[in-house]
Amino acid sequence: MSSAAAVDRGRPEVAPLPARPAPPRTLLLGMGNPILCDDGIGIELARRIGARLGDADGLVVQAECTVGGLNLLELVAGFDRLIVVDSIMTAGGRPGDWYRFDGTSVRDTMNLSNVHDANFATAMELGRRMGMHIPHAADIHIFAVEVRENLTFGERLSPELEDAVPDLCGEMLGEIAELLATKDLSRPASEVPAKEAGTWRRER
Amino acid sequence: MSRKISIDPITRLEGHGKIEIFLDDAGAVEDCYFQIPELRGFERFVVGRPIEELPRLVTRICGVCPASHHMASAKAVDNCFGGEVAPLAVKLRRMYYNAHYIHSHIAHFYALAAPDFVLGPDADPAIRNVLGVVAKVGLEIGGAVIASRSKAQEIQRIIGGRSTQDIWCIPGGVAKGLKPEELDQIRPMVADLLEFTQFSLQLFRDVVLANPTYLDIIAHGPYTLDVHNMGLVDENDAPDFYDGQVRVVDFEGKELHRYDPKDYADYVAEHVEPWTYLKFPYLKQRGWKGFREGIDTSIYCATPLARLNVAERMATPKAQEAFEEMFATIGGHPSRLLLAQHWARLVEMVQNAETLQLYCDDPDITGDQFRVIPQRVTGEGIGIVEAMRGTLTHHYTCDANGICTSANLIVGTTNNNAPIQMVTKKVAGALIKPGTEPDQGILNMVEMAFRAFDPCYSCATHSMPGQMPLRVRVRRGGEVTHEFRRGC
Repeated sequence: MSSAAAVDRGRPEVAPLPARPAPPRTLLLGMGNPILCDDGIGIELARRIGARLGDADGLVVQAECTVGGLNLLELVAGFDRLIVVDSIMTAGGRPGDWYRFDGTSVRDTMNLSNVHDANFATAMELGRRMGMHIPHAADIHIFAVEVRENLTFGERLSPELEDAVPDLCGEMLGEIAELLATKDLSRPASEVPAKEAGTWRRER
Repeated sequence: MSRKISIDPITRLEGHGKIEIFLDDAGAVEDCYFQIPELRGFERFVVGRPIEELPRLVTRICGVCPASHHMASAKAVDNCFGGEVAPLAVKLRRMYYNAHYIHSHIAHFYALAAPDFVLGPDADPAIRNVLGVVAKVGLEIGGAVIASRSKAQEIQRIIGGRSTQDIWCIPGGVAKGLKPEELDQIRPMVADLLEFTQFSLQLFRDVVLANPTYLDIIAHGPYTLDVHNMGLVDENDAPDFYDGQVRVVDFEGKELHRYDPKDYADYVAEHVEPWTYLKFPYLKQRGWKGFREGIDTSIYCATPLARLNVAERMATPKAQEAFEEMFATIGGHPSRLLLAQHWARLVEMVQNAETLQLYCDDPDITGDQFRVIPQRVTGEGIGIVEAMRGTLTHHYTCDANGICTSANLIVGTTNNNAPIQMVTKKVAGALIKPGTEPDQGILNMVEMAFRAFDPCYSCATHSMPGQMPLRVRVRRGGEVTHEFRRGC
């Protein structure tokens, strides 16, 4: 409505409130295969965490994501921040431990993708170079749970992981909620000092 | 407890490809094994489930070609219920699969094959990826690649409701039809994709065919195998990716077998070796004769090139032109030049795009008769499609209540397991000679051999780094003399 129209109706003209900045658009992805035993841990956790945080401003939850590479790029395009909950297997790792790292680490580790396609880091970088709206590497947050069994078909987690799910959910929920409360996004990845990039492990 | 640590590399050891090269005392290649720990248990996992559930479950076997598993499974389940499928559903399934083929081939060609040919096989591994390709050919082409791939996926989504984790095929048909307004959305995308296939062919001419070094690698390198070819053909002996008869021709072009999918067990058997989980399919009527080439071998390839080798023609005009150009350039039909797989993928892309266009012009395609309700349980069903990387067979049995009692899968890459072993050894043998020090360049040249097959060993889509984590060990007298790692 124009100000002239407001005056015409006899109401005082009020200065419009400054527009509230839109919250960052955040995508929460649960990655894994729900029929490969512990590989489904990311999906299970994303479901639980998404159910608790699903109404957070700007948050979109896709609890089950089984694609990687260029497919993932298409899912992520348009978001300011990406949070991935996934499984991981490392040499000597203890099932139930979990790790948190950001996209600046993934640049080197090149996980989260498949053999037939571009890897995660490459796909994200390709998107950026193509001018797509892709989160900066520092705004990609990966929560990965060390797993025991991810090569055998089965719909259940291994017992130690099943027992750990409530604790894992609680721990990650706190950190993800904290992330969502942060409205100012990180600096461009190129400005992140190398010493800040890295991996954190929570031992059980 | 929380502390900062460094994990490098972060990866899953089970996902590693491993090549073991054994040298003799003189330093020549004596033997070579390419091993991938294969996933176990899917066939057992599905026993006891309602058979109609399988097309939805199998899409979780692997995130690379879920649509192929979905289609093969749906066809097997159709047959468990008597085999009647609504003709419109067959057309829609074919359309869906055409779109899947296009985006899968785009991904392979531009992300995996192009780095070798655009940047060169000996390029620094750090830049030998799709980013390096884009840096060289330009952002505009990179954008076209991403846009085209997205369009093919979007077509799948419009037709089937989803582009991954498919749930669309049901016994006797599909769960939804195609609305006229959806067809209107698809048409312009199909036109763009057809144009993109022509662009890709031209790029191949400009970048690969115009480079004598690359042509020499394709035509005169060690990347050849004298083994037979397998693929589905239609009634005119043109490639058919969704249905048809399985045709097997030898590397000189003589037809060895032609059979209906339901008879596959009479023609294909699987050999087991103790050093790998993955079986080695071979032509059953010839018997297992070991890993050897020659006109009497029982080993075959099931790849894009093999599909064009078993075909006498393409099904559509532009694809036919591309087919003729390809075989005229590489020395005739059929061809044993394994690196021509990449070109064959582009030819297949053309047929898929043209076929999509034909379906867009089909006046019946937006009809509503897209399912027939199954009336009986026959107890057994076999479904074969051409997955992008080879002939894919699903074979199920079920009881009178439609509960799965057994399942057998022969997946695309498994068909090519023996040829991959053989060409890996052949290339290693050609490049590693007494007095030649193996290096990273050799690693990539060896990898090019099996990459031509677009091998897919994955299941959890993200479980392997994008470049296959690869470890090459060279042993001499039992001792490891060289070890190269990439991505692991």
